[in-house]
Amino acid sequence: MTTLSRFEIDQPGSVAEASQMLGHYGDQAAIYAGGTELLLAMRHRALSYKHLIDLKVIPGLNAIKARDGVIEIGAACTHRTIESSSLVREMQPVFAELESQVANIRVRATGTLGGNLCFAEPHSDPATMLLVLGATVWIESARGTREIPIEKLIAGAYANHLAPGEILTRIVVPCGKSNHRAAYMKFQIHERPTLGLGLWLETLDGGRTFTAARVAVGCVSPFPHRAPVAEALLTGSRAEVEKHLPETAALIADGADLVDDHEGSAEYKRHLVDVFLRRTFLKAVGLRISS
Amino acid sequence: MLAIGKVRFVGEPVAAVIGADQLSAQEALDKIKVEYEELVPVLDVESALAPGGVLVHGMDYIGGAFRGFDDFPGGTKNICQAVHVEWGDVDAAFASAAHIAEGEYYFPMVYAYAMEPYVAVADYDSKGQLTVYSSAQHPFMVRHDLAEIFDLPLNSVRVIVPYVGGGYGSKSYTKIEPLTAACSWKVSRPVKLQLSVEEAFLTTRSDDARVYIRTAVDDSGKLIAKQATIHLDTGAYAENSPMVCRKAANRIVGPYRFPHVRVDCLAIYTNTVPASSYRGLGAAQITFPVESQMDELAHKIGCDPQEFRLRNLAHSGESIHPGLRPIDADVPGDIRLAAETLRSNGPLALKHGRSVCCSCSDAGAHPVTLAMVHVYADGSVSVMSGSTEIGQGSHTVLAQIAAEEMGVPLGKVRLVGSDTGVTLFERSTGASRTTTLMGRAVMEACREAITQCKSMAAELLGVPAGEFTEERGGIRHGKDWLSWPEIIERYFQMEGCGIIGRAYLRRAGALKAVPVFWEIGVVGVEIALDEETGKISLDTLVTVGDVGLAIHPAMTESQDLGAATMGLGIGLFEELIYEGQQLMNGTLLEYRVPRFSDLARRVELKLVENHDGVGPYGAKGGGEGCVNPIGACLANALYQAAGVRIRRLPLTPERVWKALQEQKSQAPASQRKPPAAPKTDVTKTTA
Repeated sequence: MTTLSRFEIDQPGSVAEASQMLGHYGDQAAIYAGGTELLLAMRHRALSYKHLIDLKVIPGLNAIKARDGVIEIGAACTHRTIESSSLVREMQPVFAELESQVANIRVRATGTLGGNLCFAEPHSDPATMLLVLGATVWIESARGTREIPIEKLIAGAYANHLAPGEILTRIVVPCGKSNHRAAYMKFQIHERPTLGLGLWLETLDGGRTFTAARVAVGCVSPFPHRAPVAEALLTGSRAEVEKHLPETAALIADGADLVDDHEGSAEYKRHLVDVFLRRTFLKAVGLRISS
Repeated sequence: MLAIGKVRFVGEPVAAVIGADQLSAQEALDKIKVEYEELVPVLDVESALAPGGVLVHGMDYIGGAFRGFDDFPGGTKNICQAVHVEWGDVDAAFASAAHIAEGEYYFPMVYAYAMEPYVAVADYDSKGQLTVYSSAQHPFMVRHDLAEIFDLPLNSVRVIVPYVGGGYGSKSYTKIEPLTAACSWKVSRPVKLQLSVEEAFLTTRSDDARVYIRTAVDDSGKLIAKQATIHLDTGAYAENSPMVCRKAANRIVGPYRFPHVRVDCLAIYTNTVPASSYRGLGAAQITFPVESQMDELAHKIGCDPQEFRLRNLAHSGESIHPGLRPIDADVPGDIRLAAETLRSNGPLALKHGRSVCCSCSDAGAHPVTLAMVHVYADGSVSVMSGSTEIGQGSHTVLAQIAAEEMGVPLGKVRLVGSDTGVTLFERSTGASRTTTLMGRAVMEACREAITQCKSMAAELLGVPAGEFTEERGGIRHGKDWLSWPEIIERYFQMEGCGIIGRAYLRRAGALKAVPVFWEIGVVGVEIALDEETGKISLDTLVTVGDVGLAIHPAMTESQDLGAATMGLGIGLFEELIYEGQQLMNGTLLEYRVPRFSDLARRVELKLVENHDGVGPYGAKGGGEGCVNPIGACLANALYQAAGVRIRRLPLTPERVWKALQEQKSQAPASQRKPPAAPKTDVTKTTA
């Protein structure tokens, strides 16, 4: 039976110390924030580290707080913590619902949101939805702290834009408002989703017209893509938006860099974008989905 | 054990490291650098059969007693086994047929996932005694192989199999035991070898099957002829695919009356993971084409598929294979029961489809089963059984039989085994045989113990045995009642004493005719189709277990549900995918097995008990049948729901969607409609 190689767990007392450790060990170390993906990759020899720096023991990194219309989620919060947080359920229910559907209960109880985003597994549910919710992330290191939009964090499949020594410490999610409509849906046959589609709409008249929109699709390509060109077609009267959904879906698919893989051909994924854009739209505006 | 000179598949062991603990063994393993010279691989059946192609082996397949086959001189053609079944005049029958259906079907490579991967502990001691604890299904076969490999007498090899965490065929025959034993021999210490799930994926799989089949009817809709060619991709080593090959060829006839049959089945070597038993042993592979084609042919002649089956099914007592045991089951009744149960769902909803399919397997394998029971003076009983408890519940059922026979409470019976050093010979734990054969052996062993007790009682009482009567648990003589334990204690005048009853079953008497019994699989499904995504979900599942007598009904039903659920996996999403010589999805992350969420909204598990088996009290085996028909059930129900016929499993959403796209592109919009063929509910039957 293949087993993990020897490694050490380092337990820093603060983010600054964790950052120092990263700088000290260089390529020999990785941040350990749940390990649901990392340890699997290490067991299969896809990755190898002598040191794992345990983010979960740093005080405060597993807190969820509300502040000025946003929710701040500590990077070491588990999916389970987020899905059961009354704060998230109240302030951004669509994200709480998404978190309750991530992988399975064992992964949710151990895996963290920060770990999920930094590991950048192409089938991440939260990454896709955070793109459309307009989330930002805080990145800390000895050089200071910077806040960047989530788009700037994910670089590709299994790749992020963190510089050496930098640590993702919190995820900032704008709260939902009564004039927002949002939904996330996924299509899943295998252990990981085949497609995830997130949609956010703003309406000033109870859903008759939409003044702003964001849409993103994940799992179908190496990393989740927002589709700014398509978003223009999601504003305007509801009838117009609905009429243009097939065209909108085509634009989303065009921009998503669809790939053929074991989850399906690019052609099938293009079709699924179309099906799930309509379903997600209907779910977001609160209608029953037929079929 | 290890590849010598040539590695024939990715996953074949090339070196073994023995360490004091897992981590140091792993670190030593990481230091081994293997240099491979790349050879041209044979990756599919077509290239394996191509003239002048590369040979996987330069030698012929060597059979043997356990394999039940003669040696097969196919080594020069990448063919490890060829089976031909023929009766009647097939060519003439097809020439005179009123209608013929024909087609090619594909059943995928799948993995019989069990929660416990392979594990063995071997202790080759300095006195030449080899003791192996193993997750093997068939301990006596493993003993045979170890004795041959290490040139040891049978009494020097002891194979002990504790509770096993599932096998479904994947743990039949010998796997990692010889390598573990060799390692123990090398270091003169006990050695444990435990595979991960990923390594288990690279140890064995099912044969995939390309099946060409054609079926003919006369103008009254009566089946007259079947012809089939089956190509099994057997992988790099023969293991027991030669047996799968034999069984697939037999079982493709189904439970139908065919005057004319010709079947050719080849097991073919390729450079992939060796194939082996998979629940159903060849029947799952061929029931998909057989029962798909039954529906296709019914539609072609404008007959309701169930009606068509009922018209052609063999009834109890009728022969389907010349020379074999006549059918010992009520297949038409089973089909009606499944259909009636499905029909109680009410009218068929839009985008829903229903189907009932069946399979018929020559089950039980070769009947050689020996058992003994210890009956103790304190009233307890031990059953010594060489059958492996692998989650199917045989320890419970065998204990029930012993309790029934000896007239003691179930709690007084304990199972011992399987342990080749202690329990008597049992050929195998498979082919659904345990209740039928070991159950019968345990029953006979108990009766033999009772016969001994009666002689003792006659001596104790000083009367002929005819003067007392046997009553449950003992004898009555006038006003006196003596239990079996009392008789034993009084006879020996010793506490703590016990006697042995034994039974030797072989192919003779009631077990002379083969198969031991016909295992029937009858399944009904109703599916719901999401036409937009192509995703099929199971609305209703009906299983019918025609088991003679369900000695433990709840476990019998669970076996049927388990088998059907395994079939559902192959039907909807399971498939091992190769790219070149690499298995691409050999992990549970990428290879999807069924989950609770895949189960049907409505599950009905029916048992049919006609006491028509040769097992104890008329029981027959079960547990494999319901895996076989599911693939065809799903394909037929899909046809009813959407009018598309798919001849390849699994019916993945993308595959279904593509078929629907193709259908749309072929038919102008005005002609688009659900299937023309089934005018009525396919589950409608005549009483």
